Amino acid sequence: MKTYAYFPGCSLEKMARSYHTSALETCRVLGVELRELEDWNCCGATAYFHVDELLAYTLCARNLAMAEQQKLPVVAPCSGCYKNLYFTRDHLNHDADLAEHINEALAEDNLKFRGDSPVHHLIEVFVKDVGLPALKAKVTHPLKGLRVAPYYGCQILRPRKDKEDVEQPRFFEDLVAACGAEPVHYPLRLTCCGGALIITNREAALSLVRNLLQSAVQAKAAVIVTACPLCQVNLECYQKQVNKEFGTEFHVPVMYFTQLVGLAMGIPPKRLGIGSELVAVMPAIKEARETEPSPAGT
Amino acid sequence: MNTASPEPAAAPPIAAPPDNPLSFVEEIRHLLYASKGNPINTCIQCGTCSATCPVASGGFMDNSPRRIIALIRAGFKDQVLKANTFWYCASCYQCTVRCPRNIDIAELMYGLKRYTVWKAAGNKDLIGPTFTETFVKMILRTGRSYEPVLATSYLFTYGLPEMIQEAQTATVLMLKGRLPLLPARIKRLENFKRVIKHIIPLGDKE
Amino acid sequence: MSEPKRLLIIDDDPDFVAGLKAILVKAKYDVDVAYNPKSGLQALRTKAYDLLLLDVMMGRGAEGIMIARKLGKDPTLRDLPVLIITGIREQMAFLFPGQAVHPHFVPVDELVEKPVEPKLLLEKVQALMKTAETRKAKSQ
Repeated sequence: MKTYAYFPGCSLEKMARSYHTSALETCRVLGVELRELEDWNCCGATAYFHVDELLAYTLCARNLAMAEQQKLPVVAPCSGCYKNLYFTRDHLNHDADLAEHINEALAEDNLKFRGDSPVHHLIEVFVKDVGLPALKAKVTHPLKGLRVAPYYGCQILRPRKDKEDVEQPRFFEDLVAACGAEPVHYPLRLTCCGGALIITNREAALSLVRNLLQSAVQAKAAVIVTACPLCQVNLECYQKQVNKEFGTEFHVPVMYFTQLVGLAMGIPPKRLGIGSELVAVMPAIKEARETEPSPAGT
Repeated sequence: MNTASPEPAAAPPIAAPPDNPLSFVEEIRHLLYASKGNPINTCIQCGTCSATCPVASGGFMDNSPRRIIALIRAGFKDQVLKANTFWYCASCYQCTVRCPRNIDIAELMYGLKRYTVWKAAGNKDLIGPTFTETFVKMILRTGRSYEPVLATSYLFTYGLPEMIQEAQTATVLMLKGRLPLLPARIKRLENFKRVIKHIIPLGDKE
Repeated sequence: MSEPKRLLIIDDDPDFVAGLKAILVKAKYDVDVAYNPKSGLQALRTKAYDLLLLDVMMGRGAEGIMIARKLGKDPTLRDLPVLIITGIREQMAFLFPGQAVHPHFVPVDELVEKPVEPKLLLEKVQALMKTAETRKAKSQ
């Protein structure tokens, strides 16, 4: 069994609770243990980085140092947390003066950052560490006929970490296909949802959300699948406002990839937190299953 | 010296040419000394950043990222600091990964946010600075972030329609069990506060 | 005449530095400038100075604090007097309201706020160097 220090992040505490529960459920089936970091603190999201990056690094380094104590790699389900934790480790590993300064601060909490716990996004764990063949082997209820728009968003891919393909990634489509569902060609899959702007520039954020919903509808997707709580909340919870603002009639369910994987592995929807959405997911799933009933389907 | 080439949506430079045009670009270069990309004076003004920016291409920025870079290089400091560009940056990093000159443009946007907060020189009508402040204060108090406080505390200041919309969404989410009634706190909060004071110690005795 | 005293300025604002340097050079000081914390630390590690004039908010945040704390820990540098010149109070007031009392990072340091009157600047520079010298003489 592969074990990770699990950093849920503030959104998953409540707003994106279903991401949290579905992550735990699916990981259990996949033989991945998520050990929640005790006493983790906010990653700083992006707002910290504006005022004081040293402070932002300090917040992330505290979480990283606690994971290191357990000698575990870190996994974050939120793309924002993932990016912050990943790059904090990167900066501190490349700047000894900075690491020393931050370690003096962390000493107040009896912690020390060493830089030896790598940071992963949860989807990376599914795709790379578990691997799609192993994941596919656990699929008992393939989601045949379900047209899925895989939405990458920004911070899983960007900024670039190494030499990976940030323009034409495939892993999300492959993951959807491994669940037996049909990944549609989703032109705006890499375009920002404006999650960081919903408060500071609502008009711009709603317009970005509209574009993403429109693109998914045009691609005839039955659901949008995300790997980030901010993207999910933005795309789902603000649909009503988008409709009001732009006179549209969007009604697109937006779910987490862990929920999709969970359904394909036959986990009951309720245990995946399905049912707390504002735009219900299950009708789309049922419709696909009725149109193309799979042998093992319900 | 490069001057700004006006783009359709942007306002023309109204400020008088600066006395010392080089000092602002120098200062920005120093501000970004730890940034991994190339310095902004290697910009070729190709406009990839502006075209790829979902907010700029949606017409929401008063100055596109390219224009901001041109203005910095031409020394139009006041105009840069009053722009909404960096406050409306969505942090999507598309400009950064696509810049053919390998300039970390998103980092420049963060740098400009910091700079205007430090110098208290930004545009007073924008929500961004207040939001940043609220967010930082809350995390320093509890160690974690809490959406309802965030949403309401600044929206009270910034207009009723948004506030009502936000409250409606919040109520529905609350009924669905997706909003907490009280913010979570970390356990070792006193240690946590001391950690932070080590990084920003002024204004209090150690 | 004795050797001119050697001062280092670490500050990222070229206009402010130009003004500061002009005042100090006119008062016959030998002045070096580092415009970012990294080259500042490099200068401190390679050359001996009699006083450091240090900005706080630079680069990624309160990097001046990082430098001051490093000096405090370094046995070869901790006796260097430091004049912290900053506009930090107004920007940071929202984080830590109350009086701007600065903690001492090295044995001899003082904080003044921007903008600084030339007369006050020269007084502070002289006073800090004198305190540092007295301290040194006492310990020998």
